[in-house]
Amino acid sequence: MPVRPALRTRFQEELRTLEDQALGALDMVVSTLDRALEALSHQDVELASIVIHDDDRIDGRFLEVHQGILSLLALQAPVASDLRVVAALLHTIKHAERMGDQCVNIAKLIPLSGHEPPRNKQLMELIEQMGVLARSEVKQAKQAFALRDVEVAEDLVRQDQRINKLNRDAFKLGVEIGTDEDTREWAMHMMLVARALERIGDNAVDIGEQVAFVVTGLFREFSDASRSAQHDS
Amino acid sequence: MVEKVTDIDETADAFSRARSEGNVAEEPAAAGRSDQNGARMREPIFDCHDVNVHYGDKLAVRNVNMALGQNAITALIGPSGCGKSTFIRCLNRMNDLIPSARVDGKVVYHGEDLYGADIDPVSVRKRIGMVFQKPNPFPKSIYDNIAFGPRIMGTKGNMDEIVERALKRGALWEDVKDRLKDNAFGMSGGQQQRLCIARALALEPDVLLMDEPCSALDPISTGRIEDLMEELKQNYSIVIVTHNMQQAARVSDMTAFFTVELDGDTGHRTGAVVEYDRTDKIFQNPSDKRTEDYVTGKVG
Repeated sequence: MPVRPALRTRFQEELRTLEDQALGALDMVVSTLDRALEALSHQDVELASIVIHDDDRIDGRFLEVHQGILSLLALQAPVASDLRVVAALLHTIKHAERMGDQCVNIAKLIPLSGHEPPRNKQLMELIEQMGVLARSEVKQAKQAFALRDVEVAEDLVRQDQRINKLNRDAFKLGVEIGTDEDTREWAMHMMLVARALERIGDNAVDIGEQVAFVVTGLFREFSDASRSAQHDS
Repeated sequence: MVEKVTDIDETADAFSRARSEGNVAEEPAAAGRSDQNGARMREPIFDCHDVNVHYGDKLAVRNVNMALGQNAITALIGPSGCGKSTFIRCLNRMNDLIPSARVDGKVVYHGEDLYGADIDPVSVRKRIGMVFQKPNPFPKSIYDNIAFGPRIMGTKGNMDEIVERALKRGALWEDVKDRLKDNAFGMSGGQQQRLCIARALALEPDVLLMDEPCSALDPISTGRIEDLMEELKQNYSIVIVTHNMQQAARVSDMTAFFTVELDGDTGHRTGAVVEYDRTDKIFQNPSDKRTEDYVTGKVG
């Protein structure tokens, strides 16, 4: 018997392209996050403004994938595992878009904290550690999706717990930062940065949950957000 | 959105004319964008002006104004009796074979009036091949089915090569290369249909008209024919009539929705085009409520 070529090749190609585009948005998030963190470390207002303007690219990608998914649903009627991938991509691109917005939030805080802010080295270090972890979570979420690897996806929870712990530590430091008004104002801004990074981590975990859904067909939350914070640490 | 390649200005002109007739959406595909697959529709292959078809004194299809794109797949959908088959048969003068049928208006093919006085219908059908609902191979060998047309037309060249080329284009060569002398009736339904497509391709047409080519086939054979259409689109223009809306959605670049209009006084039914647009538009956000109701399955 001659080798039968796969059927519906155009549909499969379209689905693959959509996945590449959606996961590519996560690469865009990583490079945006890198720049936001660099701008934060060096108090680089110009770089921060580039981050803000560049968010249009991620938003554009969101629209592109969103439209592509609607077309695919309307025209190709995907079913079974294909349908799960399509649904998961719709979530994933939304999470990517949200993460891009969090990078913008960070970038917008940079000029607000002044030209030469009275930095607290310890607090800054905590936030930089959070940044490193958030970046690695986004990369890992992409990898988990591309490989359809539930274990890699579930491991995101472990990393996210570290971010959450650092976030609480940062909060404690912020509360106790002292009486100087400028320092307190700076610390408040850093709390918002920490919050943005913590949310990026959450979005990465949500993508991980989508990976498990694609593979198993069952949706479950990896960690219960309604749990009290101390159980998380 | 990333803008795709566009090169369809001529089609856009034809559209704007059709729009003025009121049976094309306000913002058709051609308005500066390529179709969903980025198909480059350089110029319309068919340009239909006020096409009316009568059977005897009864108007079967009225007022079709449509430009069909080159190297594109155009799907005609609509309920039974809406005139889509009648219309597709106008495109290669098949209605000439029905004594009572009369086609008015203009069907311009490559800039020439298909119904012009100096046009030979047989040579039209050589350039514009047709595949029917039920596979209809000749009661001959696979080889002779393909060779039949070229022999009649006196085609020059090595017949073995012509047969092989046609079967390859019809995605059938690998299935049958070791049994070319077998009777075509011994093939599966899907293979017979691909044989009919290959038989049409053997005459080197540039248009393939398909009147419900998959409605007698199982899903796998249907999938194979649909993939084949996607391949053939590179070199041919395809017009397909289909009852299967999902098939139109899957394979076509442009879709025309036909409907039946009932004359309250005479009870007479006439087919007409409601909407003609990019397929993704028709299936995601049609402009006409009647199209919406049909594609969502609210009315048959």
